[in-house]
Amino acid sequence: MDIDLSSNDLAFQQEVREFLAANAYKNGADYAEWRLNWFKLAREKGGWDVSKWPEAFGGPGWSPTQHYIWEQETAVAQTPWDLPFGLSMLAPVLMNHGNEEQQNRFLPDIRDRKVNWCQGYSEPNAGSDLANLKTKAVLSEDGSYYTVTGTKIWTTLAHIADWIFCLTRTSDAGIKQQGITFLLIPMKQAGIEVKPIITLGGSHTVNMVHLTDVKVPVENRVGEEGKGWGYAKGLLAHERTGLAGISKSLAALQNLRKQASQVKRGNSTLLDDPSYRAKLAELEIDLMATEFTELRSLASAANGAEPGPESSILKLKGTEIQQRIQKLTVEAGGIYSAAWGPMPVGHLFARGGMSGYLSSRAYTIYGGASEVQRDVIAKNVLGIKKSQSK
Amino acid sequence: MNFDISSEQNILQDSVDRFVQDHYELDKRQLLVLTEQGFSNDNWQTMAELGWLGVSVPEAHGGFGGNEIDTMILMQAFGKGLVLEPFFASTVLGAKAIADGGSEDLKTKMLPGVVDGSRQLTFAYAEAQSRFDLNDIVTRAQRDGDDYVINGHKSMVLHAASAHQIVVSTRTSGGQAEQAGISLFLIDADAAGVEITSFPTVDGQQAAEIKLEGVKVPSSRLLGALDQGYELLNSVATAGILALAAEAVGAMEILYKDTVAYTQEREQFDHALSDFQVLQHRMVDMFMEYEQCKSLLYRATLEVVQNSTGAQRSVHALKYYVGKMGTFIGENAVQLHGGMGTTEELRVGHYFKRLLVIDAQFGNSDHHLALFAA
Repeated sequence: MDIDLSSNDLAFQQEVREFLAANAYKNGADYAEWRLNWFKLAREKGGWDVSKWPEAFGGPGWSPTQHYIWEQETAVAQTPWDLPFGLSMLAPVLMNHGNEEQQNRFLPDIRDRKVNWCQGYSEPNAGSDLANLKTKAVLSEDGSYYTVTGTKIWTTLAHIADWIFCLTRTSDAGIKQQGITFLLIPMKQAGIEVKPIITLGGSHTVNMVHLTDVKVPVENRVGEEGKGWGYAKGLLAHERTGLAGISKSLAALQNLRKQASQVKRGNSTLLDDPSYRAKLAELEIDLMATEFTELRSLASAANGAEPGPESSILKLKGTEIQQRIQKLTVEAGGIYSAAWGPMPVGHLFARGGMSGYLSSRAYTIYGGASEVQRDVIAKNVLGIKKSQSK
Repeated sequence: MNFDISSEQNILQDSVDRFVQDHYELDKRQLLVLTEQGFSNDNWQTMAELGWLGVSVPEAHGGFGGNEIDTMILMQAFGKGLVLEPFFASTVLGAKAIADGGSEDLKTKMLPGVVDGSRQLTFAYAEAQSRFDLNDIVTRAQRDGDDYVINGHKSMVLHAASAHQIVVSTRTSGGQAEQAGISLFLIDADAAGVEITSFPTVDGQQAAEIKLEGVKVPSSRLLGALDQGYELLNSVATAGILALAAEAVGAMEILYKDTVAYTQEREQFDHALSDFQVLQHRMVDMFMEYEQCKSLLYRATLEVVQNSTGAQRSVHALKYYVGKMGTFIGENAVQLHGGMGTTEELRVGHYFKRLLVIDAQFGNSDHHLALFAA
């Protein structure tokens, strides 16, 4: 047992730091141009633009420790915005279950950040019970296309997406996890209507997507008909590991401390307030524990295991911590946190504080609500089976 | 970075797991609790023969020369069995104080006996007024020629009645709560002026109040530097906290697993209790907090072993979290076992009691949160 970084890891950490420092955004530069160039340079480092992709698909082939270092360093450095839908969510499904033609057709554009994807999973009656989805896909008589009709909801950034990857129902036979088919559908076409949903924080991020008689060529089906649930399930485990956001929370907590030290209270600052300090301390300790739970899980992943049950702990704990950071940010902002929108009043950090906190309420709901995560842990980790009731 | 234990440590783990399995069924343990000494001499001898009593004692003095990770492996297993023998008081606390603070002469004289089990030590740090502050000491040691004379009172000293020597924290100068002016001495338990009043603790172990009246101790029995004993006192306390936390993690594992097993057997309302989601989620929380405690245990232990800059804060974090979650897991284990959980017949209550006592030793949850936040 040891927690030292090896000399190779230390050298890697140095290399990452140098890369991030050399390519940070400079004021006045064209952001879009800088962004695409950053990814190009990261690619030239040997797949750093697709850090989580396997080596066979152009990824860097890092060890779990290297991934951890990358997460830590990028959490505190300025990196270009990026979306997970194509890169981290669809790409692994295509790599594992798509055919070569689909891989060649879709992966390069995802990698070049040319095409925006969104995820068509949830439906008005299929939230936590995702397998209850009803969006129908009917295969044409000649077997050349599906006709898709139904409604998807909570579709993040559907309004800027070029494509949607969708779970659809092709059969009602058997249990509801069967008969689900994974389809890839272009967004910009007749029959697809995107309606914005404004969430508590006042922002437009998620949408309702109506699909009416949308024709999808059969070559846009990933894997076999009726097997889509299995493909999506692997993806969900992947999604949960990413949602814990430990490195980002560590950086956010440092910021929070700085902010609290700027808030005056009489002759001292909020950071000297015993009850605020105690809340910060409890938060930091929870984060220290979760950070090591993640390291333990990374270390076991080093033996090539899939993200296991500990990924469920991480999502649960990680998202609760993110919410508590938002809450303490609101507290630090005091009365100015109540200003709606980016009004130039009060401390800079406090602007939109309550909006951020309200938005964070979704963290323990999306990607498998915390209660669903507990169900999963009870079943898969504690091994609790439903008893034969009398 | 690596969380696997070495192959040597694997062997240690196997043998201690077997020991606990063979000797620590609840019935056997409760018989030992009722004896005057409160533990088994046979078990003590077995521990000596297996080399455990010298696990952290330097090889030069007949020990195994291990570090806090080796102690963690032993204590985690002891926590699973609620082991009663005074390994913690004697090896983890007493022997460390001598190994780190004693003269070569004293080490040569004292440590081999600790390793072979013929000598038992304990550590007297608390006082009635000190609550959890290691530096709050009114017991005084005054120079008298080549000797020191100690007067005062020490509280809740583990297994003092069976100990041969006692490490005592004293004030040799400075005010009541100053870190400077503290000195540690090794006194003989049977020295004139030492009055030991024993009593059982809630968790079935033995402790004592110790009155010290004009106790003479030669200056060769000074541990660490005169007036500068706080550092040694704190490092022994740190070793103690790591060991207690490891024991607590072992006890938590039993509590959550016993609860999962019990709720699957016990039927009410025509269902196994484990069918009820409200109970499932409670058990998931117990499991998660056990894992989080384990993560902090690894973190603090490894940082102490590697002498990392954040080690002291991680130790505070650990003791806070283990205290808080030990109570959480214990209370819920009893709650989910229902009426039976409140009896002495099932083992869950005994593990709960141990966790309560662990929270009270070397600073409770609130105490360490305050130190962490400071």
